[in-house]
Amino acid sequence: MSKRKKKEMFDTLLYTLPAILLVTVMMYIPFVMSGYYSLTRWNGIAKEAVFIGLENFKTVLSSGGEFTGALVFTIRYTFFFVLFSNVIALFLAVCLTKKFKLANLMRGVFFIPYIMSMTIVGFIWKFIFTQGFARLSAMTGWGVWDLSWLGNPRLAFYAVTMVGVWQSLGFYIVLYIAGLQAVPKDVLEASTVDGANGRQTFFRITLPLLGPSITTCLFMSLTNGLKVFDIILALTKGGPGSSTYSVTLQIYKEAFQNNNYGLGSAESIVYFVIVLVLTQVVLKISSSREVAL
Amino acid sequence: MSMKKKNTLRKSLLLIGLGIIALIYIFPVFLMYMNSLKPFGEIVKDAIALPSHPEWENYSYVINKIKYGKLFFNNVVITTIGIAGIVLFSSMAAYMMDRRRNRYTRFAHLVITTPMLIPFQTIMITLLKAMNIIHLSGSKIGLGIQYWGFGIPMATFIYYNFMKTVPRELDESAKIDGASTHKTFFMVIFPLLKTVTVTVIVLDVMWIWNDFLLPLLMVNSSNETKTLVLAAYTFVGQMNTKWHYAMTAMVLAVTPSIIIFILLQKYIVEGVVAGAVKG
Repeated sequence: MSKRKKKEMFDTLLYTLPAILLVTVMMYIPFVMSGYYSLTRWNGIAKEAVFIGLENFKTVLSSGGEFTGALVFTIRYTFFFVLFSNVIALFLAVCLTKKFKLANLMRGVFFIPYIMSMTIVGFIWKFIFTQGFARLSAMTGWGVWDLSWLGNPRLAFYAVTMVGVWQSLGFYIVLYIAGLQAVPKDVLEASTVDGANGRQTFFRITLPLLGPSITTCLFMSLTNGLKVFDIILALTKGGPGSSTYSVTLQIYKEAFQNNNYGLGSAESIVYFVIVLVLTQVVLKISSSREVAL
Repeated sequence: MSMKKKNTLRKSLLLIGLGIIALIYIFPVFLMYMNSLKPFGEIVKDAIALPSHPEWENYSYVINKIKYGKLFFNNVVITTIGIAGIVLFSSMAAYMMDRRRNRYTRFAHLVITTPMLIPFQTIMITLLKAMNIIHLSGSKIGLGIQYWGFGIPMATFIYYNFMKTVPRELDESAKIDGASTHKTFFMVIFPLLKTVTVTVIVLDVMWIWNDFLLPLLMVNSSNETKTLVLAAYTFVGQMNTKWHYAMTAMVLAVTPSIIIFILLQKYIVEGVVAGAVKG
Protein backbone atom coordinates (compact mmCIF):
# COMPACT_ATOMS: atom_id res chain seq x y z
CA MET A 1 0.00 0.00 0.00
CA SER A 2 1.29 3.44 -0.85
CA LYS A 3 1.89 5.93 1.93
CA ARG A 4 -0.99 8.09 0.74
CA LYS A 5 -3.38 5.15 0.67
CA LYS A 6 -2.31 4.18 4.17
CA LYS A 7 -2.96 7.69 5.44
CA GLU A 8 -6.39 7.67 3.81
CA MET A 9 -7.31 4.36 5.40
CA PHE A 10 -6.07 5.62 8.76
CA ASP A 11 -8.26 8.73 8.51
CA THR A 12 -11.31 6.70 7.51
CA LEU A 13 -10.90 4.53 10.59
CA LEU A 14 -10.16 7.52 12.81
CA TYR A 15 -13.43 9.21 11.78
CA THR A 16 -15.71 6.18 11.94
CA LEU A 17 -14.32 4.02 14.75
CA PRO A 18 -15.46 6.23 17.68
CA ALA A 19 -19.08 5.96 16.48
CA ILE A 20 -18.78 2.21 15.87
CA LEU A 21 -17.15 1.64 19.24
CA LEU A 22 -19.80 3.67 21.09
CA VAL A 23 -22.82 1.98 19.53
CA THR A 24 -21.17 -1.38 20.09
CA VAL A 25 -20.62 -0.75 23.79
CA MET A 26 -23.98 0.94 24.48
CA MET A 27 -26.24 -1.07 22.17
CA TYR A 28 -24.86 -4.24 20.61
CA ILE A 29 -23.17 -5.66 23.69
CA PRO A 30 -26.18 -5.12 25.99
CA PHE A 31 -28.42 -6.51 23.24
CA VAL A 32 -26.37 -9.71 22.97
CA MET A 33 -26.23 -9.93 26.76
CA SER A 34 -30.04 -9.65 26.90
CA GLY A 35 -30.24 -12.53 24.45
CA TYR A 36 -27.99 -14.62 26.66
CA TYR A 37 -29.62 -13.77 29.99
CA SER A 38 -33.08 -14.43 28.56
CA LEU A 39 -32.07 -18.09 28.59
CA THR A 40 -31.07 -18.07 32.24
CA ARG A 41 -32.35 -17.69 35.74
CA TRP A 42 -30.46 -14.78 37.32
CA ASN A 43 -31.24 -12.44 40.19
CA GLY A 44 -28.77 -9.76 39.16
CA ILE A 45 -26.56 -10.23 42.21
CA ALA A 46 -25.34 -13.84 41.96
CA LYS A 47 -22.14 -14.23 39.96
CA GLU A 48 -23.40 -17.12 37.87
CA ALA A 49 -26.67 -17.15 35.98
CA VAL A 50 -28.26 -20.62 35.70
CA PHE A 51 -28.92 -21.71 32.13
CA ILE A 52 -32.53 -22.87 31.76
CA GLY A 53 -33.10 -22.86 28.00
CA LEU A 54 -36.39 -21.49 26.74
CA GLU A 55 -38.12 -21.77 30.13
CA ASN A 56 -38.42 -17.96 30.51
CA PHE A 57 -40.07 -17.59 27.11
CA LYS A 58 -42.67 -20.20 28.07
CA THR A 59 -43.48 -18.17 31.19
CA VAL A 60 -43.57 -14.91 29.26
CA LEU A 61 -45.88 -16.16 26.54
CA SER A 62 -48.19 -18.24 28.74
CA SER A 63 -51.74 -16.96 28.50
CA GLY A 64 -53.08 -15.11 31.51
CA GLY A 65 -49.59 -14.12 32.60
CA GLU A 66 -48.51 -10.64 33.66
CA PHE A 67 -46.65 -10.07 30.41
CA THR A 68 -49.56 -10.95 28.15
CA GLY A 69 -51.79 -8.64 30.20
CA ALA A 70 -49.30 -5.81 29.75
CA LEU A 71 -49.04 -6.61 26.06
CA VAL A 72 -52.81 -6.41 25.56
CA PHE A 73 -52.88 -3.07 27.38
CA THR A 74 -49.97 -1.71 25.33
CA ILE A 75 -51.49 -2.71 22.01
CA ARG A 76 -54.90 -1.26 22.93
CA TYR A 77 -53.22 1.92 24.18
CA THR A 78 -51.10 2.21 21.04
CA PHE A 79 -54.12 1.70 18.79
CA PHE A 80 -56.14 4.49 20.38
CA PHE A 81 -53.07 6.70 20.79
CA VAL A 82 -52.21 6.43 17.08
CA LEU A 83 -55.82 6.92 16.03
CA PHE A 84 -56.61 9.98 18.16
CA SER A 85 -53.19 11.63 17.79
CA ASN A 86 -53.38 11.50 14.02
CA VAL A 87 -57.04 12.37 13.49
CA ILE A 88 -57.10 15.27 15.95
CA ALA A 89 -53.68 16.56 14.88
CA LEU A 90 -54.66 16.50 11.22
CA PHE A 91 -57.91 18.32 11.95
CA LEU A 92 -56.19 21.03 13.99
CA ALA A 93 -53.38 21.30 11.43
CA VAL A 94 -55.91 22.00 8.68
CA CYS A 95 -57.48 24.75 10.82
CA LEU A 96 -54.10 26.20 11.77
CA THR A 97 -52.80 26.50 8.21
CA LYS A 98 -55.54 29.04 7.48
CA LYS A 99 -54.05 32.50 7.44
CA PHE A 100 -54.85 34.53 10.53
CA LYS A 101 -52.91 36.66 12.98
CA LEU A 102 -52.72 34.34 15.95
CA ALA A 103 -51.91 31.14 14.02
CA ASN A 104 -48.29 31.07 15.13
CA LEU A 105 -49.15 31.70 18.76
CA MET A 106 -51.71 28.88 18.72
CA ARG A 107 -49.25 26.45 17.15
CA GLY A 108 -46.92 27.31 20.00
CA VAL A 109 -49.65 26.69 22.56
CA PHE A 110 -50.32 23.18 21.24
CA PHE A 111 -46.61 22.44 21.18
CA ILE A 112 -45.86 23.34 24.80
CA PRO A 113 -46.88 20.02 26.43
CA TYR A 114 -44.55 18.25 24.00
CA ILE A 115 -41.47 20.04 25.32
CA MET A 116 -42.36 19.21 28.92
CA SER A 117 -41.07 16.13 30.70
CA MET A 118 -43.62 13.31 30.45
CA THR A 119 -43.19 12.56 34.13
CA ILE A 120 -44.30 16.08 35.03
CA VAL A 121 -47.18 15.83 32.55
CA GLY A 122 -48.34 12.69 34.38
CA PHE A 123 -48.24 14.52 37.72
CA ILE A 124 -50.13 17.55 36.40
CA TRP A 125 -52.95 15.31 35.25
CA LYS A 126 -52.94 13.31 38.45
CA PHE A 127 -53.57 16.60 40.21
CA ILE A 128 -56.35 17.50 37.78
CA PHE A 129 -58.05 14.11 37.99
CA THR A 130 -58.12 14.33 41.78
CA GLN A 131 -58.18 17.97 43.00
CA GLY A 132 -59.30 19.69 39.80
CA PHE A 133 -62.20 17.37 39.02
CA ALA A 134 -63.42 17.45 42.61
CA ARG A 135 -63.68 21.23 42.36
CA LEU A 136 -65.34 21.11 38.92
CA SER A 137 -67.89 18.70 40.32
CA ALA A 138 -68.71 21.07 43.16
CA MET A 139 -69.00 23.96 40.72
CA THR A 140 -71.12 22.33 38.02
CA GLY A 141 -72.79 19.40 39.74
CA TRP A 142 -72.10 17.20 36.69
CA GLY A 143 -71.53 13.49 37.33
CA VAL A 144 -68.61 13.12 34.89
CA TRP A 145 -66.27 14.89 37.30
CA ASP A 146 -67.13 12.49 40.11
CA LEU A 147 -66.20 9.36 38.20
CA SER A 148 -63.13 7.60 39.51
CA TRP A 149 -60.91 8.40 36.53
CA LEU A 150 -57.80 6.84 37.99
CA GLY A 151 -59.44 4.27 40.24
CA ASN A 152 -61.60 2.35 37.78
CA PRO A 153 -59.67 0.08 35.36
CA ARG A 154 -61.76 1.02 32.30
CA LEU A 155 -61.71 4.75 32.98
CA ALA A 156 -58.01 4.67 33.90
CA PHE A 157 -57.32 3.32 30.42
CA TYR A 158 -59.06 6.30 28.82
CA ALA A 159 -57.42 8.71 31.25
CA VAL A 160 -53.94 7.43 30.41
CA THR A 161 -54.62 7.47 26.67
CA MET A 162 -56.05 10.97 26.82
CA VAL A 163 -53.01 12.29 28.69
CA GLY A 164 -50.69 10.56 26.23
CA VAL A 165 -52.44 12.22 23.29
CA TRP A 166 -52.49 15.58 25.08
CA GLN A 167 -48.75 15.50 25.65
CA SER A 168 -47.67 14.73 22.10
CA LEU A 169 -50.43 16.21 19.92
CA GLY A 170 -48.39 19.36 19.16
CA PHE A 171 -45.64 17.27 17.61
CA TYR A 172 -47.98 15.66 15.10
CA ILE A 173 -49.69 19.00 14.43
CA VAL A 174 -46.42 20.62 13.31
CA LEU A 175 -45.58 17.60 11.14
CA TYR A 176 -48.99 17.77 9.43
CA ILE A 177 -48.73 21.54 9.02
CA ALA A 178 -45.39 21.06 7.25
CA GLY A 179 -47.02 18.45 5.03
CA LEU A 180 -50.02 20.64 4.23
CA GLN A 181 -47.79 23.56 3.31
CA ALA A 182 -45.97 21.33 0.83
CA VAL A 183 -49.19 20.56 -1.09
CA PRO A 184 -48.89 22.64 -4.29
CA LYS A 185 -51.28 25.60 -4.40
CA ASP A 186 -52.02 25.28 -8.14
CA VAL A 187 -53.39 21.74 -7.70
CA LEU A 188 -55.79 22.98 -5.02
CA GLU A 189 -56.83 25.93 -7.17
CA ALA A 190 -57.38 23.66 -10.16
CA SER A 191 -59.75 21.49 -8.13
CA THR A 192 -61.71 24.55 -6.96
CA VAL A 193 -61.95 25.77 -10.54
CA ASP A 194 -63.27 22.34 -11.53
CA GLY A 195 -66.08 22.88 -9.04
CA ALA A 196 -65.00 20.73 -6.12
CA ASN A 197 -66.17 21.95 -2.72
CA GLY A 198 -63.93 22.21 0.35
CA ARG A 199 -64.65 18.72 1.60
CA GLN A 200 -64.11 17.10 -1.80
CA THR A 201 -60.83 18.96 -2.27
CA PHE A 202 -59.63 17.80 1.14
CA PHE A 203 -60.49 14.12 0.79
CA ARG A 204 -59.72 13.71 -2.92
CA ILE A 205 -56.68 15.98 -3.32
CA THR A 206 -55.07 17.08 -0.06
CA LEU A 207 -55.30 13.83 1.88
CA PRO A 208 -53.78 11.59 -0.82
CA LEU A 209 -50.97 14.09 -1.35
CA LEU A 210 -50.25 14.04 2.40
CA GLY A 211 -49.10 10.42 2.09
CA PRO A 212 -45.49 10.91 3.22
CA SER A 213 -46.58 13.01 6.23
CA ILE A 214 -49.15 10.41 7.21
CA THR A 215 -46.55 7.65 6.97
CA THR A 216 -44.12 9.63 9.15
CA CYS A 217 -46.77 10.44 11.76
CA LEU A 218 -48.14 6.90 11.85
CA PHE A 219 -44.66 5.50 12.29
CA MET A 220 -43.66 7.99 14.99
CA SER A 221 -46.91 7.65 16.93
CA LEU A 222 -46.69 3.86 16.70
CA THR A 223 -43.18 3.70 18.14
CA ASN A 224 -43.98 6.32 20.78
CA GLY A 225 -47.18 4.50 21.76
CA LEU A 226 -45.38 1.18 22.17
CA LYS A 227 -42.73 2.88 24.35
CA VAL A 228 -45.15 4.46 26.84
CA PHE A 229 -43.58 4.50 30.31
CA ASP A 230 -43.05 7.83 32.13
CA ILE A 231 -46.63 9.07 31.88
CA ILE A 232 -48.05 5.86 33.32
CA LEU A 233 -45.48 5.68 36.10
CA ALA A 234 -46.38 9.21 37.23
CA LEU A 235 -50.14 8.94 36.65
CA THR A 236 -51.26 5.48 37.77
CA LYS A 237 -48.12 3.44 38.54
CA GLY A 238 -49.75 0.72 36.41
CA GLY A 239 -52.91 0.60 38.55
CA PRO A 240 -55.62 0.17 39.55
CA GLY A 241 -54.59 -3.43 40.04
CA SER A 242 -52.36 -3.99 37.05
CA SER A 243 -54.83 -2.65 34.50
CA THR A 244 -52.54 0.04 33.06
CA TYR A 245 -49.27 -1.89 33.14
CA SER A 246 -47.46 -1.32 29.85
CA VAL A 247 -44.88 -3.76 28.50
CA THR A 248 -42.05 -1.36 29.27
CA LEU A 249 -43.26 -0.92 32.84
CA GLN A 250 -43.59 -4.71 33.15
CA ILE A 251 -39.98 -5.25 31.99
CA TYR A 252 -38.81 -2.64 34.48
CA LYS A 253 -40.73 -4.22 37.34
CA GLU A 254 -39.65 -7.78 36.51
CA ALA A 255 -35.97 -6.86 36.48
CA PHE A 256 -35.51 -4.08 38.99
CA GLN A 257 -38.28 -4.73 41.51
CA ASN A 258 -38.80 -8.50 41.38
CA ASN A 259 -35.10 -9.11 40.65
CA ASN A 260 -35.96 -11.62 37.93
CA TYR A 261 -33.32 -10.39 35.50
CA GLY A 262 -33.51 -13.51 33.34
CA LEU A 263 -37.27 -13.33 32.96
CA GLY A 264 -37.08 -9.56 32.39
CA SER A 265 -34.53 -10.10 29.63
CA ALA A 266 -36.80 -12.64 27.95
CA GLU A 267 -39.66 -10.12 28.12
CA SER A 268 -37.42 -7.46 26.58
CA ILE A 269 -36.49 -9.76 23.69
CA VAL A 270 -40.14 -10.60 22.98
CA TYR A 271 -40.90 -6.86 23.15
CA PHE A 272 -38.14 -6.14 20.64
CA VAL A 273 -39.55 -8.67 18.15
CA ILE A 274 -43.09 -7.31 18.50
CA VAL A 275 -41.98 -3.68 18.01
CA LEU A 276 -39.87 -4.62 15.00
CA VAL A 277 -42.64 -6.59 13.29
CA LEU A 278 -45.39 -4.02 13.98
CA THR A 279 -43.37 -1.00 12.85
CA GLN A 280 -42.13 -2.67 9.69
CA VAL A 281 -45.62 -3.89 8.73
CA VAL A 282 -47.20 -0.48 9.28
CA LEU A 283 -44.36 1.24 7.41
CA LYS A 284 -44.75 -1.12 4.44
CA ILE A 285 -48.54 -0.79 4.24
CA SER A 286 -48.55 2.97 4.73
CA SER A 287 -45.80 3.78 2.23
CA SER A 288 -47.21 1.42 -0.41
CA ARG A 289 -50.41 3.48 -0.39
CA GLU A 290 -48.70 6.80 -0.93
CA VAL A 291 -49.35 8.47 -4.27
CA ALA A 292 -46.83 10.45 -6.23
CA LEU A 293 -47.77 13.74 -7.81
CA MET B 1 -75.23 37.71 2.45
CA SER B 2 -72.44 38.14 -0.04
CA MET B 3 -69.87 35.40 -0.56
CA LYS B 4 -67.10 37.52 0.87
CA LYS B 5 -69.02 38.42 4.01
CA LYS B 6 -69.92 34.80 4.53
CA ASN B 7 -66.27 33.82 4.29
CA THR B 8 -65.18 36.41 6.84
CA LEU B 9 -67.89 35.22 9.20
CA ARG B 10 -66.81 31.61 8.83
CA LYS B 11 -63.22 32.59 9.42
CA SER B 12 -64.00 34.49 12.63
CA LEU B 13 -66.10 31.59 13.91
CA LEU B 14 -63.20 29.25 13.19
CA LEU B 15 -60.83 31.59 14.98
CA ILE B 16 -63.05 31.80 18.04
CA GLY B 17 -63.51 28.02 18.10
CA LEU B 18 -59.78 27.44 17.82
CA GLY B 19 -59.09 30.02 20.50
CA ILE B 20 -61.40 28.23 22.93
CA ILE B 21 -59.82 24.86 22.15
CA ALA B 22 -56.32 26.31 22.63
CA LEU B 23 -57.30 27.85 25.98
CA ILE B 24 -58.75 24.58 27.28
CA TYR B 25 -55.72 22.76 25.91
CA ILE B 26 -53.19 24.85 27.79
CA PHE B 27 -55.29 25.20 30.94
CA PRO B 28 -53.58 22.30 32.79
CA VAL B 29 -50.21 24.05 32.43
CA PHE B 30 -51.72 27.30 33.64
CA LEU B 31 -53.29 25.43 36.57
CA MET B 32 -49.88 24.11 37.59
CA TYR B 33 -48.37 27.60 37.69
CA MET B 34 -51.36 28.99 39.54
CA ASN B 35 -51.37 26.35 42.25
CA SER B 36 -47.64 26.63 42.78
CA LEU B 37 -48.38 30.10 44.13
CA LYS B 38 -51.03 29.08 46.66
CA PRO B 39 -50.71 28.03 50.28
CA PHE B 40 -51.81 24.46 50.99
CA GLY B 41 -55.22 25.40 52.37
CA GLU B 42 -56.25 27.29 49.26
CA ILE B 43 -55.44 24.37 46.96
CA VAL B 44 -57.58 21.99 48.97
CA LYS B 45 -60.41 24.49 49.16
CA ASP B 46 -60.41 25.44 45.48
CA ALA B 47 -57.88 24.08 42.99
CA ILE B 48 -59.21 26.21 40.16
CA ALA B 49 -59.46 29.68 41.68
CA LEU B 50 -56.67 32.24 41.40
CA PRO B 51 -54.40 32.56 44.46
CA SER B 52 -55.52 35.25 46.90
CA HIS B 53 -51.89 36.39 47.08
CA PRO B 54 -48.74 34.83 45.58
CA GLU B 55 -47.14 32.51 48.13
CA TRP B 56 -43.44 32.85 47.25
CA GLU B 57 -42.52 30.85 50.33
CA ASN B 58 -43.31 27.69 48.31
CA TYR B 59 -40.50 28.57 45.96
CA SER B 60 -37.87 29.39 48.57
CA TYR B 61 -38.73 26.16 50.41
CA VAL B 62 -38.56 23.89 47.33
CA ILE B 63 -35.48 25.56 45.80
CA ASN B 64 -33.56 24.95 49.04
CA LYS B 65 -35.02 21.51 49.67
CA ILE B 66 -34.21 19.98 46.29
CA LYS B 67 -31.03 22.07 45.79
CA TYR B 68 -32.33 23.48 42.53
CA GLY B 69 -29.09 25.19 41.52
CA LYS B 70 -27.16 21.95 41.80
CA LEU B 71 -29.77 19.99 39.83
CA PHE B 72 -29.85 22.60 37.10
CA PHE B 73 -26.07 22.46 36.86
CA ASN B 74 -26.20 18.62 36.64
CA ASN B 75 -28.67 18.82 33.76
CA VAL B 76 -26.50 21.33 31.92
CA VAL B 77 -23.38 19.17 32.36
CA ILE B 78 -25.07 15.94 31.24
CA THR B 79 -26.83 17.54 28.28
CA THR B 80 -23.72 19.43 27.12
CA ILE B 81 -21.48 16.37 27.26
CA GLY B 82 -24.11 14.27 25.50
CA ILE B 83 -24.71 16.76 22.68
CA ALA B 84 -21.01 17.55 22.12
CA GLY B 85 -20.13 13.88 21.59
CA ILE B 86 -23.15 13.08 19.45
CA VAL B 87 -22.53 16.04 17.12
CA LEU B 88 -18.78 15.43 16.84
CA PHE B 89 -18.71 11.66 16.34
CA SER B 90 -21.82 11.51 14.12
CA SER B 91 -20.71 14.25 11.74
CA MET B 92 -17.22 12.75 11.49
CA ALA B 93 -18.52 9.27 10.73
CA ALA B 94 -21.09 10.57 8.24
CA TYR B 95 -18.40 12.57 6.44
CA MET B 96 -16.18 9.56 5.77
CA MET B 97 -19.16 7.32 4.97
CA ASP B 98 -20.20 9.72 2.23
CA ARG B 99 -16.81 10.77 0.87
CA ARG B 100 -15.00 7.43 0.87
CA ARG B 101 -17.41 4.90 -0.49
CA ASN B 102 -15.97 1.41 -0.17
CA ARG B 103 -16.79 -1.90 1.43
CA TYR B 104 -15.60 -0.77 4.85
CA THR B 105 -17.66 2.44 4.97
CA ARG B 106 -20.78 0.60 3.78
CA PHE B 107 -20.25 -1.82 6.66
CA ALA B 108 -19.72 1.10 9.08
CA HIS B 109 -22.98 2.69 7.88
CA LEU B 110 -24.88 -0.52 8.57
CA VAL B 111 -23.31 -1.00 12.00
CA ILE B 112 -23.89 2.59 13.11
CA THR B 113 -27.48 3.12 11.94
CA THR B 114 -29.07 -0.32 12.54
CA PRO B 115 -29.42 0.23 16.33
CA MET B 116 -32.21 2.73 15.55
CA LEU B 117 -34.38 -0.39 15.47
CA ILE B 118 -33.52 -1.45 19.04
CA PRO B 119 -35.89 0.04 21.63
CA PHE B 120 -34.12 1.28 24.74
CA GLN B 121 -36.22 -0.94 27.01
CA THR B 122 -34.87 -4.04 25.28
CA ILE B 123 -31.35 -3.37 26.47
CA MET B 124 -31.86 -1.43 29.70
CA ILE B 125 -31.46 -4.40 32.05
CA THR B 126 -28.13 -5.59 30.73
CA LEU B 127 -27.00 -2.04 29.98
CA LEU B 128 -26.90 -1.35 33.71
CA LYS B 129 -24.65 -4.38 34.24
CA ALA B 130 -22.41 -3.42 31.32
CA MET B 131 -22.10 0.18 32.53
CA ASN B 132 -21.28 -1.01 36.06
CA ILE B 133 -18.41 -3.05 34.63
CA ILE B 134 -16.86 -0.12 32.74
CA HIS B 135 -17.67 2.39 35.54
CA LEU B 136 -19.91 4.68 33.53
CA SER B 137 -22.87 4.31 35.90
CA GLY B 138 -23.34 6.57 38.91
CA SER B 139 -21.66 9.63 37.43
CA LYS B 140 -22.79 12.66 35.47
CA ILE B 141 -19.95 12.39 32.98
CA GLY B 142 -20.60 8.68 32.55
CA LEU B 143 -24.27 9.36 31.86
CA GLY B 144 -23.38 12.06 29.33
CA ILE B 145 -21.08 9.60 27.56
CA GLN B 146 -23.80 6.95 27.47
CA TYR B 147 -25.99 9.33 25.48
CA TRP B 148 -23.34 9.28 22.75
CA GLY B 149 -24.06 5.63 22.07
CA PHE B 150 -27.83 6.12 22.01
CA GLY B 151 -27.80 9.37 20.03
CA ILE B 152 -25.23 8.51 17.36
CA PRO B 153 -27.33 6.15 15.17
CA MET B 154 -30.06 8.70 14.42
CA ALA B 155 -27.71 11.70 14.24
CA THR B 156 -25.35 9.90 11.84
CA PHE B 157 -28.32 8.98 9.69
CA ILE B 158 -29.42 12.64 9.51
CA TYR B 159 -25.88 13.94 8.84
CA TYR B 160 -25.26 11.26 6.20
CA ASN B 161 -28.36 12.22 4.21
CA PHE B 162 -27.35 15.86 4.29
CA MET B 163 -23.69 15.23 3.44
CA LYS B 164 -24.67 14.24 -0.11
CA THR B 165 -25.79 17.82 -0.76
CA VAL B 166 -22.42 19.30 0.24
CA PRO B 167 -20.41 19.56 -3.01
CA ARG B 168 -17.27 17.41 -3.22
CA GLU B 169 -15.50 20.18 -5.13
CA LEU B 170 -15.04 21.91 -1.78
CA ASP B 171 -12.97 18.99 -0.49
CA GLU B 172 -10.91 18.96 -3.64
CA SER B 173 -10.14 22.67 -3.68
CA ALA B 174 -9.22 22.54 0.01
CA LYS B 175 -6.88 19.67 -0.75
CA ILE B 176 -5.26 21.61 -3.62
CA ASP B 177 -4.74 24.49 -1.20
CA GLY B 178 -2.79 22.02 0.91
CA ALA B 179 -5.32 21.48 3.73
CA SER B 180 -5.15 18.18 5.63
CA THR B 181 -8.21 15.92 5.99
CA HIS B 182 -8.83 17.28 9.48
CA LYS B 183 -8.53 20.88 8.39
CA THR B 184 -10.86 20.22 5.45
CA PHE B 185 -13.48 18.65 7.66
CA PHE B 186 -13.38 20.99 10.64
CA MET B 187 -12.72 24.27 8.80
CA VAL B 188 -14.59 23.80 5.50
CA ILE B 189 -17.21 21.05 5.75
CA PHE B 190 -18.43 21.15 9.35
CA PRO B 191 -19.45 24.85 9.25
CA LEU B 192 -21.58 24.06 6.20
CA LEU B 193 -23.53 21.46 8.18
CA LYS B 194 -25.00 24.18 10.40
CA THR B 195 -28.67 23.54 9.57
CA VAL B 196 -28.45 19.81 10.33
CA THR B 197 -26.39 20.47 13.42
CA VAL B 198 -29.19 22.72 14.68
CA THR B 199 -31.69 19.91 13.97
CA VAL B 200 -29.60 17.36 15.84
CA ILE B 201 -29.05 19.71 18.78
CA VAL B 202 -32.77 20.58 19.07
CA LEU B 203 -33.87 16.93 18.98
CA ASP B 204 -31.21 15.71 21.36
CA VAL B 205 -31.49 18.56 23.88
CA MET B 206 -35.25 17.93 24.16
CA TRP B 207 -34.58 14.24 24.61
CA ILE B 208 -31.65 14.35 27.06
CA TRP B 209 -32.91 17.27 29.15
CA ASN B 210 -36.25 15.56 29.81
CA ASP B 211 -35.08 11.93 29.79
CA PHE B 212 -36.27 9.91 32.74
CA LEU B 213 -35.56 6.21 32.43
CA LEU B 214 -31.81 6.24 31.74
CA PRO B 215 -31.05 8.70 34.58
CA LEU B 216 -33.35 6.64 36.82
CA LEU B 217 -31.20 3.58 36.15
CA MET B 218 -27.81 5.28 36.23
CA VAL B 219 -27.69 8.24 38.60
CA ASN B 220 -30.63 7.91 40.98
CA SER B 221 -28.70 6.60 43.99
CA SER B 222 -27.01 9.88 44.95
CA ASN B 223 -28.37 13.40 45.36
CA GLU B 224 -25.11 14.70 43.90
CA THR B 225 -25.78 13.24 40.46
CA LYS B 226 -29.58 13.48 40.12
CA THR B 227 -31.17 15.25 37.17
CA LEU B 228 -33.93 17.84 37.41
CA VAL B 229 -36.75 15.54 36.28
CA LEU B 230 -35.53 12.70 38.48
CA ALA B 231 -35.38 14.91 41.56
CA ALA B 232 -38.83 16.32 40.79
CA TYR B 233 -40.16 12.77 40.45
CA THR B 234 -38.73 11.70 43.81
CA PHE B 235 -39.80 14.94 45.50
CA VAL B 236 -43.39 14.80 44.24
CA GLY B 237 -43.54 11.17 45.37
CA GLN B 238 -42.42 12.15 48.88
CA MET B 239 -44.76 15.13 49.06
CA ASN B 240 -47.70 12.83 48.35
CA THR B 241 -50.61 15.18 49.06
CA LYS B 242 -48.63 18.36 49.80
CA TRP B 243 -49.64 19.64 46.41
CA HIS B 244 -48.37 23.20 46.96
CA TYR B 245 -44.75 22.01 47.19
CA ALA B 246 -45.25 19.35 44.49
CA MET B 247 -46.62 21.93 42.04
CA THR B 248 -43.72 24.27 42.74
CA ALA B 249 -41.17 21.51 42.08
CA MET B 250 -42.96 20.65 38.83
CA VAL B 251 -42.95 24.29 37.73
CA LEU B 252 -39.24 24.54 38.50
CA ALA B 253 -38.58 21.39 36.46
CA VAL B 254 -40.40 22.47 33.28
CA THR B 255 -39.94 26.25 33.23
CA PRO B 256 -36.43 26.20 31.69
CA SER B 257 -37.79 24.22 28.70
CA ILE B 258 -40.77 26.55 28.31
CA ILE B 259 -38.59 29.69 28.37
CA ILE B 260 -36.20 28.21 25.80
CA PHE B 261 -39.16 27.22 23.64
CA ILE B 262 -40.70 30.69 23.73
CA LEU B 263 -37.35 32.26 22.79
CA LEU B 264 -36.45 29.78 20.05
CA GLN B 265 -39.86 28.55 18.85
CA LYS B 266 -39.00 28.91 15.17
CA TYR B 267 -35.77 26.90 15.36
CA ILE B 268 -37.25 24.24 17.61
CA VAL B 269 -40.30 23.60 15.44
CA GLU B 270 -38.19 23.57 12.27
CA GLY B 271 -35.66 21.24 13.87
CA VAL B 272 -38.32 18.83 15.07
CA VAL B 273 -40.00 18.71 11.65
CA ALA B 274 -36.68 18.25 9.82
CA GLY B 275 -35.62 15.51 12.24
CA ALA B 276 -38.87 13.57 11.87
CA VAL B 277 -38.92 13.82 8.10
CA LYS B 278 -35.29 12.80 7.70
CA GLY B 279 -35.21 10.28 10.53
